[in-house]
Amino acid sequence: MIKISTHNDLIQYIYDELALGEKKVFEQTLAKDQKLAEHCAELLILQEKLNGELKAPSEKTINSILTYSKNLSLQQ
Amino acid sequence: MNTIQLSDSELVSLYIAGNENAFELLVKRHKNKVFTTILLIVKDTYTAEDLLQDTFIKAIHTMKSGRYNEEGKFSSWICRIAHNLAIDYFRKEKRNPTIEMEDGSNVFNTLAFAEESIEALQIKEDTHKRLRELIQQLPEAQKEVLIMRHYADMSFQEIAETTGVSINTALGRMRYALINLRKKMTNQNIDYDKNLYTQ
Repeated sequence: MIKISTHNDLIQYIYDELALGEKKVFEQTLAKDQKLAEHCAELLILQEKLNGELKAPSEKTINSILTYSKNLSLQQ
Repeated sequence: MNTIQLSDSELVSLYIAGNENAFELLVKRHKNKVFTTILLIVKDTYTAEDLLQDTFIKAIHTMKSGRYNEEGKFSSWICRIAHNLAIDYFRKEKRNPTIEMEDGSNVFNTLAFAEESIEALQIKEDTHKRLRELIQQLPEAQKEVLIMRHYADMSFQEIAETTGVSINTALGRMRYALINLRKKMTNQNIDYDKNLYTQ
């Protein structure tokens, strides 16, 4: 049974929010705990999937933003 | 000067000093993440495009007027603006429009994707579309923390403060969001580990 605190550390670990010391300790725990390591791998795969999920706005919208900024600079 | 290798913080400083190229690079660096953050909340491409403009216009005025706070990351800051505008819009509208995604090559505008076959692109887009639908099916609190952390790039501490819960609660919600998402993907036979090592 994995402790809740360990689960929270895992979430912070995969999102790179653990301090360096905590990260090292957690990685030592991962090396010893097969189940936790598997769970970690699953979440990292899912994270990868979600990263492929990004949508791009239209070029027209981006050009409007850039033009707005340039025009504002000219006015100042 | 090679602006491409500069950090966000350095680009912001250059932009405030009048360098428009620095701003263009900032926009191009963060546009997809900001746009996706908005899209997952408002669920409508055209509205998301409008809110993306509003987000960057707000950012432009903040930076140009010298009110930009250097403390946090630029990516978290811009995504937080986007998140707040999207939530405001959603509350005002009080409706739930269905996603009407337009097909287009700009969705996968990297070189790696450009070399893929039409069929491969279609499969990838179908998978992403189903994944977006699964995210929408998550309980509201879990969906919120997933969008804030994964897409809006906010830290768990920032999420806890924004949503008025403890950091452990925010972490717990994220954990259940990921677990539930994974279960749903498995149930719907969404390919879970294919192409993991393709990069």
